[in-house]
Amino acid sequence: MKVTLNWLKQYVDFDWSPEELAERLTMIGIEVEGVVKTGGEFEGVVVARVITRDKHPNADKLSLCRVDDGKGERQIVCGAQNFKAGDKVPLVLPGATLPARAGQPPVTIKVGKIRGVESQGMLCSPQELGLPDQVDGLLILPEDAPVGVPFAQYLGRAGSDVIYDLEITPNRPDLNSLIGIAREISAITGGELRMPKAELAENQPAVTELAAVRIEDAELCPRYNARVIKGVKIGPSPEWLRTSLEKVGVRSISNVVDVTNYVMLETGQPLHAFDYHLLAKGATGVPTVVVRRAVEGEKFTTLDGQERTLTSQALLIADEQHAIALAGVMGGLNTEINNTTVDVLLESACFKPQNIRATSKKLGLRTDASYRFERGSDVGACDYASRRAAQLILQTAGGSLCAGAVDACPKAIEPKQITLRHEKVNELLGLSLTEAQVEGYLSQLGLKRAGRKPQPVGAESVSEPMVIKVPSFRVDLKREVDLIEEVARLYGVDKIAATPPRGAIGANAYDRVHDELADARRLLSGLGLFEAQGQTLIAESAAKLVAGENLVGLGNPLSSDMNVLRPSLLPGLLDSLRHNLSHKIYDVALFEVGRVFAPGQNSGLNEERRAALALTGQRQPLFWSGADRDAKFDIYDLKGLLDEFLEQFGARGISFQRRAQSTGLFLESATIHLGKFQIGEVGQVLPPLARQYDLRDAVFLAELSLDVLLARRNPAKTAKPLPAFPAIRRDVALILPEATTHDQVVQSIKQARVAFLESVELFDIFRGKNVPAGHKSMAYALTYRNPERTLVDAEVNAAHEKLVQELTRKLQATVRE
Amino acid sequence: MAGFIDQIEPLKAAALAEFAAAADPAALEQARVNYLGSNGKFTALLKGLGALPKEEKPAAGKAVNLVKNELETALALRRGELELKAALPTEPTDFTAPGRRRVMGKLHPLTQVTEDIVRSFRKIGFVVADGPEVEDEYHCFDALNTPADHPARDSQDTFYLGAAPSQAPRLLRTHTSSVQIRVMKSQPPPVRIIVPGRVYRRDNADATHNPTFHQVEGLYVDRGVTVGDLKGTVEFVFRELMGPETRIRFRPHYFSYTEPSFEIDFSSALTRKMGKEWLEIAGCGMVHPQVFENVGYDPEVWTGWAFGFGIERIAMIRYGITDIRLFYENNLRFLRQF
Repeated sequence: MKVTLNWLKQYVDFDWSPEELAERLTMIGIEVEGVVKTGGEFEGVVVARVITRDKHPNADKLSLCRVDDGKGERQIVCGAQNFKAGDKVPLVLPGATLPARAGQPPVTIKVGKIRGVESQGMLCSPQELGLPDQVDGLLILPEDAPVGVPFAQYLGRAGSDVIYDLEITPNRPDLNSLIGIAREISAITGGELRMPKAELAENQPAVTELAAVRIEDAELCPRYNARVIKGVKIGPSPEWLRTSLEKVGVRSISNVVDVTNYVMLETGQPLHAFDYHLLAKGATGVPTVVVRRAVEGEKFTTLDGQERTLTSQALLIADEQHAIALAGVMGGLNTEINNTTVDVLLESACFKPQNIRATSKKLGLRTDASYRFERGSDVGACDYASRRAAQLILQTAGGSLCAGAVDACPKAIEPKQITLRHEKVNELLGLSLTEAQVEGYLSQLGLKRAGRKPQPVGAESVSEPMVIKVPSFRVDLKREVDLIEEVARLYGVDKIAATPPRGAIGANAYDRVHDELADARRLLSGLGLFEAQGQTLIAESAAKLVAGENLVGLGNPLSSDMNVLRPSLLPGLLDSLRHNLSHKIYDVALFEVGRVFAPGQNSGLNEERRAALALTGQRQPLFWSGADRDAKFDIYDLKGLLDEFLEQFGARGISFQRRAQSTGLFLESATIHLGKFQIGEVGQVLPPLARQYDLRDAVFLAELSLDVLLARRNPAKTAKPLPAFPAIRRDVALILPEATTHDQVVQSIKQARVAFLESVELFDIFRGKNVPAGHKSMAYALTYRNPERTLVDAEVNAAHEKLVQELTRKLQATVRE
Repeated sequence: MAGFIDQIEPLKAAALAEFAAAADPAALEQARVNYLGSNGKFTALLKGLGALPKEEKPAAGKAVNLVKNELETALALRRGELELKAALPTEPTDFTAPGRRRVMGKLHPLTQVTEDIVRSFRKIGFVVADGPEVEDEYHCFDALNTPADHPARDSQDTFYLGAAPSQAPRLLRTHTSSVQIRVMKSQPPPVRIIVPGRVYRRDNADATHNPTFHQVEGLYVDRGVTVGDLKGTVEFVFRELMGPETRIRFRPHYFSYTEPSFEIDFSSALTRKMGKEWLEIAGCGMVHPQVFENVGYDPEVWTGWAFGFGIERIAMIRYGITDIRLFYENNLRFLRQF
């Protein structure tokens, strides 16, 4: 639904800016989908009259003028020479902006001093206003130009307006009208809603002498109102009517048709005008409008020229001989208003929403009328809308209105009443409004309280529920809670204070940590490891393997194999491996997430959360084919698990540093670092120690500090666009000294800053034929890609060659051909 | 013309027969060359069209093209059949043989039960809280209204850390209730927390005891909290955990930090399978006013309840596990089952 600011202001006063109106409407439940400003040329420019013209005291070429702007006098300094006292000229008031000239910023006129004399505005040349006239000096207007009138209006150009595109929710058909929107605004401001008066001069003959109405299906048509206007002259609409419609996207057709559309937009009541003389006369000698269902298969041509085949579901408006309109959807070609129309029969009716919707859907024909009828029109508005339309037809097309109306309304319209308990309002909204406040809000919306029963004198005043009369245009209000919603809207939903979820105030910093630990468990089990739970109390001898003397002992242990708190999860995992091996389970992959203990400073104690991993035995479950099927876990299995886990867990900047020496636990091992923090270790258990635990295959262990990881991880994910252009891969095999690590190669590649390099992957390490002793060959796949375009071979070759040169220089490498 | 048309059908039949007889793609290609190749028999027929009288050409051309299309279709069909046959492995796949298994790791059954408990509490607005496992006597006992002469403080039940006599004794927490005190001391009411975690009792390991085990504690403090709320929550959580048919029974009991105190029995198909109508599962009660005073909450304004139960016990009942030590051995045959 489109409305304009100026149109709305016909019905209600408000002094909000266009933006504020949009905000207010949105907050009361009418979402503003678009705001377009139109017109607004020559804003702040008025027609003015030069009263006096004198020389500027300090400048020969300037004049000092007194000017009448229609409201008062102003002093203006002017440089033009072509004018005299008494001339009418355009005046730009301070604060207004001249139209921008090509290539220049717009100039805003201010009150300022020119050569020491104040100038309160500017008299303009046509060039300065962007008009085509070429004049050396001011634009001198004709003598009859009215002083004080906005210049745009004087030129006959449209003034500024703001067009709002509103999203009307389907429950509020009354808002598909200017008056409906204005009513909401008046409810917010508390101001008056000005309904256009539709008082009419009526002439003979009476309508009843010219037409009759017969409703054959009262369920589908609760009301049908007809008026007749004689002697109209069909022609183009006046300017105001045409522009009003065009601004909201309705095409102007002719004065009478435009009026029906205008009043539909204004009131929400769809109207239709028939050419009275094209209606067949019945036996009574006057046309009878018959509201009936279509005969199965009945053909009817709507005014868009389409012949439509109907079923008995469709409701028709007909005369005694043929159909003349598809009720509530579209009029008929046969009775359409045309250039020769003289007398008009004006329909203003109410139809059952479901039926109109069914017809509209079945025919795939949606009109402004069907849109409104299928949402529910105001049965109480038929006559008012008809009178309003008649008034505007008389005004725009002339003619004479026949007295009265034929207003068929088979069933009396019962006004709805809803009982509202004031305490229920507060209960639901969490407010403490008084009854008077509630009544006030509702009354602003036109929802008035029904008269109270008079209380006997001296009777105790009893709080009784309010009985609210619901106007016929509010088809959405059905029960108490609907009224409560109205109170909430007018009170302001944004003003209702948020109360914290009651009882659910369990704020605790650990809650998130619990989930992060669960994340770690989920990832590790997803990688194929089984979760273990080890004993917290372990033997001091085992604890010493990983922590030396740095232990927390019990004062009253039960036994010597449970006499210290675990300093690490690794001894417990070794115990679990031993348990499995002793039960003939040789292939074991375990992890544990748990707490470890260490003495802290000042005889304190540190508890730390860790994750640990253990692998031994065969890499793959038993399979009956393949050369590799019996392969055992090696250190790179554990390294791969750590790489994947750490990446998935969101740890960035991980590095591994090989320990030069064996430790009390590990044969060969590395410390794991996240930036400058050491977060763990990984390695192969000393074989003699493994044998002590009855473990026969190589055993690999790793342990990570989760507390450090939790503090440093960044699990946030951002989607990167998928590559739109192909990549090019180049391989290089480098012969390097044994001591050179993969990390060093990658760092050197990074430092070379080669253009377009997307990724680096190690795909082979080889020692042997053609590789000198003490050396190894490392083969890398380098992927080049430009995200903006397809790379050509030549540029990749150049980049790759440069990279290879850099690497051979920096790493004392040779390229293995 | 009759002679020309008469040749078409026999040639077609012969070609189709040869296509069908081809046993492999190579043989089929040879058959194609024989008929449709540049020196093929059918191609020769096509070439003969030119020699026909002008008025016979259209009909003959139409007939011969129709058959040509037919032969090409048959050829493509047969080629598809033969290619498919060639793609099949020489030996049939034994779909009953085991595949290359990918191992799916499992969460420990205690973790799974803990997560189920946490999930059901979180549905009703609880958050997870945590505290140290090494505690002092204040948080573990004193603040919980456990008098110094209470048997729970006997060193037979509690592990103490070794320390110099001058130091305040430190101990391994005997219940997660110590976290109640820490949370209440660190925030104003209302409170709605659950605390899963390890606790310690100085019991020798046997089928029903392990020095280390797990508890979950629930604490709810607000205005107007009642025993009815406690029962409602307990019922909700146990039905979530043990199934919708679960019934709950409260029996009066004693805990120093709640008043009144109750033990909770539950009854379900599981308990009946174990030959019991009611099985003790948890302890609970309304937070003792003295505990509130200890943490600085006004017992005239605030009421609350707490309940706690053993996670191993829930897991044992749920899975039918009869020895608590299985949880800590990490036998893969055991872990795989959950």
